[in-house]
Amino acid sequence: MKDNALIEVKDLKKHYKNGAVKALDGITTDITKGEVVVVIGPSGSGKSTFLRSLNLLELPTSGSIMFDGEDIAAPHVNINKHRQKMGMVFQHFNLFPNMTVLKNMTIAPMKLKGLSKEDAEKKAMELLERVGLADRAEAYPSQLSGGQKQRIAIVRALCMEPDVLLFDEPTSALDPEMVGEVLDVMKKLAKAGMTMVVVTHEMGFAREVGSRVVFMADGVIVEEGTPSEMFDSPKSERLKSFLAKVL
Amino acid sequence: MNFKEQFILNFVTDNRWTNITTGLIHTIIITICAALIGLVLGMIVAAVRTTYDKNCESLKRRGGLGYIIMTFFNAVCKLYLTIFRGTPVVVQLMIMYYIIFASAKNGLGVAIIAFGINSAAYVAEIFRGGIMSIDNGQFEAGRSLGFNYIQTMMYIVIPQVIKAILPALLNEFIALLKETSVAGYVGITDLTRGGNIIRGVTFSAFMPLIAVALIYLIMVVCLTKVVGIIERRLRKSER
Ligand SMILES: Nc1ncnc2c1ncn2[C@@H]1O[C@H](COP(=O)(O)OP(=O)(O)OP(=O)(O)O)[C@@H](O)[C@H]1O
Ligand SMILES: [Mg+2]
Repeated sequence: MKDNALIEVKDLKKHYKNGAVKALDGITTDITKGEVVVVIGPSGSGKSTFLRSLNLLELPTSGSIMFDGEDIAAPHVNINKHRQKMGMVFQHFNLFPNMTVLKNMTIAPMKLKGLSKEDAEKKAMELLERVGLADRAEAYPSQLSGGQKQRIAIVRALCMEPDVLLFDEPTSALDPEMVGEVLDVMKKLAKAGMTMVVVTHEMGFAREVGSRVVFMADGVIVEEGTPSEMFDSPKSERLKSFLAKVL
Repeated sequence: MNFKEQFILNFVTDNRWTNITTGLIHTIIITICAALIGLVLGMIVAAVRTTYDKNCESLKRRGGLGYIIMTFFNAVCKLYLTIFRGTPVVVQLMIMYYIIFASAKNGLGVAIIAFGINSAAYVAEIFRGGIMSIDNGQFEAGRSLGFNYIQTMMYIVIPQVIKAILPALLNEFIALLKETSVAGYVGITDLTRGGNIIRGVTFSAFMPLIAVALIYLIMVVCLTKVVGIIERRLRKSER
């Protein structure tokens, strides 16, 4: 198991206000290749902080994150190189509004990987085909629906050919009728063997697609296990009461 | 004296109109050169301030010289902004001319520097406001793709900032054009002083001063029109 660990997180802590707020209070877990880790928990439990620490959008207070043979939580690490291999999908899409869909997708591969315009666009078009949005390549983000925006955001991240994709509540900002189309894309990715860490309130998705469910509360992992372990026979009181509220 | 005689007295006799044209040329030179200085210096100051704001946490974490240097430059920029936005430009101009560059013979050069440095303080805040107005998610999206701080700024943030602040920036330069009218305080014949010289000779205030006012007005109205057109274009491309 340890051999395929893609990311090894050890005793990760993130404190705010000189330790008055402990958003993360010692997280230890491994993320294995091909695994879909679904992170659930009440609001303020530290789910986003954990996810954003994995690619150092939040700077950890202490602890280590081993990725690609290096502790990326240490100072003086060139995080930009590592981030190219860790795609991120945000709740609010964060597409670049001044660029077409195609430009959104090709700018990073062209500038960072030195791909030619033709190669980058060919790759982008293939990905757009896969999510059924090839006809929107020349559209601007403001001309797209929420579900379309999020699908574009996912393929934008995929253009960099990352080893892992991080999702922070990818469907929370969507109208209910658009949640399905985004979850479908994520399911397809999971089937194709993509390693994913997904913070979500979609328990159906967690149960169906997750290979492991992690329940966080107060900055720590309270319980983790397979979806059926977690949903059918939760052990801790906190998880039981959380599930009672959300299911 | 009728209108025609007044006109001849104030503008035609002794080629007095050249006071106006020379002044206008100086006003335009000062405005354009100061605007360029303001733009470049203002961008540098804004870059220091926002780089510090956005990176101070990670710089502090790395420790060492980088953090100390950035903190120092940030403090210098803050002090500069406070001083130059907190005092009248005419006082700054006189301090430059009579104290700092007291030995300089080139009044025009001193005025350009003084107005440029003053304008830069306002341009810096326009730029900073523009950068801050861009949703932090844009910045994070850029960084999460693997762009470093400077690349994210260059490719993602700045193009959006420029679109957002172009009207404000142009309005700052229109204000600058009018502000240069105090250049006469340090002996430069700008448009205002050109008109005032004529008044001093002919002892008739109406024609030269109204002529000066009209010329400013025409320039400002034309430039404002241009800003309006650019604003409309930008809004259209926003979709
Ligand atoms: N910049 C900050 N300064 C101070 N406290 C913060 C900051 N960011 C987050 N926190 C705190 O850290 C804790 C964890 O926040 P986080 O956003 O990770 O929770 P979450 O599980 O993602 O919640 P949600 O489901 O609402 O998104 C919260 O108590 C929050 O108030
Ligand atoms: Mg969150």
